[in-house]
Amino acid sequence: MMNPTIELNGLEVQLGGRTILHGLTGILKGRAIGLLGPNGAGKSTLINTLLGFHSPSKGSARVLGLDSHTNGKALRSLVGYMPENDAFISKMSGVRFVRYMAEISGLPPAQAMERAHEAFVYVGLGEARYRPVGTYSLGMKQLAKLAQAIAHGPKVLILDEPTNGMDPPARKRLIELIREIREASDICLLLSSHLLRDVEETCDEVLILRNGQIASICNLVEERRANRKFLELETIGAEATFTSTLEGLGCECAVFTNGRIKVVMPDGVEIREVFKVAADKGVQIRRMNHRRDSLEDIFLNAMELTGAADGRI
Amino acid sequence: MAVYKRRYAPYTGSLTPERSRFFVLTRYAFADLFKSRFFVLLLILSLVPTLFFAGYIFIANNKAVQLLLPMGPADMFSVEARFFTFIMLVQTQAAFLLNCWVGPILIAGDLTNGALPLFLSRPFSRTDYVLGKLAVMGLLLSGVTWVPSLLLFTLQAGLAKGDWIWSHMWMVVPIVLCSVIWILMLSLISLAVSAWVKLRIVATGVIFISFFIPAGLGEMFNAIMGTIWGRLLNFSYLFQIILARGFREPSRLLGSMGWNEIPVPAAWGVLIFVCLLSLVILNARLRARDTVRG
Repeated sequence: MMNPTIELNGLEVQLGGRTILHGLTGILKGRAIGLLGPNGAGKSTLINTLLGFHSPSKGSARVLGLDSHTNGKALRSLVGYMPENDAFISKMSGVRFVRYMAEISGLPPAQAMERAHEAFVYVGLGEARYRPVGTYSLGMKQLAKLAQAIAHGPKVLILDEPTNGMDPPARKRLIELIREIREASDICLLLSSHLLRDVEETCDEVLILRNGQIASICNLVEERRANRKFLELETIGAEATFTSTLEGLGCECAVFTNGRIKVVMPDGVEIREVFKVAADKGVQIRRMNHRRDSLEDIFLNAMELTGAADGRI
Repeated sequence: MAVYKRRYAPYTGSLTPERSRFFVLTRYAFADLFKSRFFVLLLILSLVPTLFFAGYIFIANNKAVQLLLPMGPADMFSVEARFFTFIMLVQTQAAFLLNCWVGPILIAGDLTNGALPLFLSRPFSRTDYVLGKLAVMGLLLSGVTWVPSLLLFTLQAGLAKGDWIWSHMWMVVPIVLCSVIWILMLSLISLAVSAWVKLRIVATGVIFISFFIPAGLGEMFNAIMGTIWGRLLNFSYLFQIILARGFREPSRLLGSMGWNEIPVPAAWGVLIFVCLLSLVILNARLRARDTVRG
C-alpha cells in the first residue's frame, strides 16, 4: 500500500515558548497539496517542521512514510525546497549555485553540472545562467530557487510562496512549470501560497490552517466533481412560474428582491434549458452569472466554520 | 531533463557517499579563494619564511658554503629545538594573518542572503556544514604551519645524516600538536565571527580585537592586582607557553613576558575553552530558521 504524502499525528510545535501548531491530525494523499491559511496560521512552521528545522513538542509528522524528526536525513534526501525568502549566494553565477546545491544533495560533480544547466534552461533562465545570482531580478531569483530545488530530481517538492514578487506573465509561466513538473513525473508537491489561484491551478488537495489548527482538508478533485453549478440571475417578469418550472427540472431556486434569483443546477441540466424556460414564461433575463464553488468559497467556508471573523489571507 | 527536450525528469544516477559530502563546501571555498589574487599573494608570502629557513638549514649542513660566508664562527648555524620553535612562531603568525583574511568570508557569504536553509534542507547537517568550513581553514593553515615545519625537519634530517633524526624525532609531536591547537582555535574563532559579522572588514577587525583587546585587559588586570593570571586572556602568549614547553625550551626565550609563567595545563585549558565557546556561538547562529522568543 502506498504511503500517504503527508501524515500528521497530533503534531504540536512550540517555538519561543509559544505553541504554534496545536495537535494537527490528518492524512493527505494527494500528489499536489496546497497549504492555505491567513498570516500566522502556521503554514511556514508546518513546512519547517516537515523539513526537520523544528522539532515537534508532541506528535509526529511523516512525509512519504518518513518521520520528519527521527528520519530527517532520509526525508531530506527526497526533498527539493524552494524557500519563501531570499536564499542564494549572491556572488556565484546561477549555474554554479545550482550545481553547488546539487552536489550537496549528493550528485557527482559532472552530473551536477549537467543537471544544473538543464534545470536553468528548463525554468527559462538559460541566457542568464552565467550571471551572478545577486544581479537577478526578483522573479529571476524565484526561478533560480526553483532550479536549485529540482536539479537533484527530488521526490517531494516543497514550494513556499513560489510566485511572490512575480509579475502576472512570470507568475503564469511559473504555475505552468509547476504543473508540468507535477505531470512529467511522480513527484509530490507541497505548495504554500496566500494566492488561492496558485493553489487552485496546481493542487489536487488542500490543507487549510487557521491559528495553528486544521480548518479544513479538502480534496479539490472530488470537490470539483461534486461541485454544483450556480446561476445568479436578474430577471423581469413572472418569477413564480419561472422558478416553479425550473424546480420541475430539478433545480433549486432561491428568490430575492428586485427579481434576483439564485438557481442551483443539478447535473444534466444545461443553461440553454433555463433560457428556454424563460422564453416560454415571458421572463426577461437581464443578467446572468454562472459559477461553481471556487477554492475561495471553500476557504471562506473553512474560515467561517472555525469562527474566523477576519478571514484575512 | 535534457536541455533540448525542456522537460522535467527525475535524477536516477548514482550519489556520492554522505560522509564525504561536507568536502563539497571545502572544494567550492578553495575554488573561490584562489580566484583572489590578494589571497594567492598572501599565501605565497606566508610561505616565503620557509624558503629562508630551508636556506638556513642548507648552510648549517654545508661546511663549504659556511667558509664562503664573511661571518663569524661556523657553529652559529645550529638546527636544534630552538630553531624549530622559532619556525613555528613565525609560521603560526603567518597563519594568523591568513586566517584574518580568509575566515571572515566563509560563513557570512551564506548567511547574508539566507542560503543556510538551502544547505540544511538537504541530507546535510549543521555538523557537516561546520566540518566543511573548518576543513577549509584546517587545510589552508596546515599548509603554512606543520606541513612546512615537517618538511624542514625532513630536510634537516636528510642533510644532517647520522642519528640526528632519531635523537630529534620527539620534535614531530610538538610541531603537529601545537599547530593543531593553534589552527583549531584560529579557525573556530574566525568561523564564529563570520557567523555573526557579515562585513569582511568588520569581521577582520573583530578577529584582531578578539586577540589584542583581551590581552591588553589582562595586562591591566595584572598591573592593578599584582598578579600574572591576567595573561590567561592573552591567547598568543598562552600558545607560546605551550610551544616552548613542547620544544623543551624555557619560555623566556620567546619574549619578555616569560619569567612568571602560567602553568601549561591552564594555558591548554583556556585555549580549549575558547574553542568550545566558539562552537557554542556557531551552534547558536547556524540555524535554518530563527526563533523569536516571547
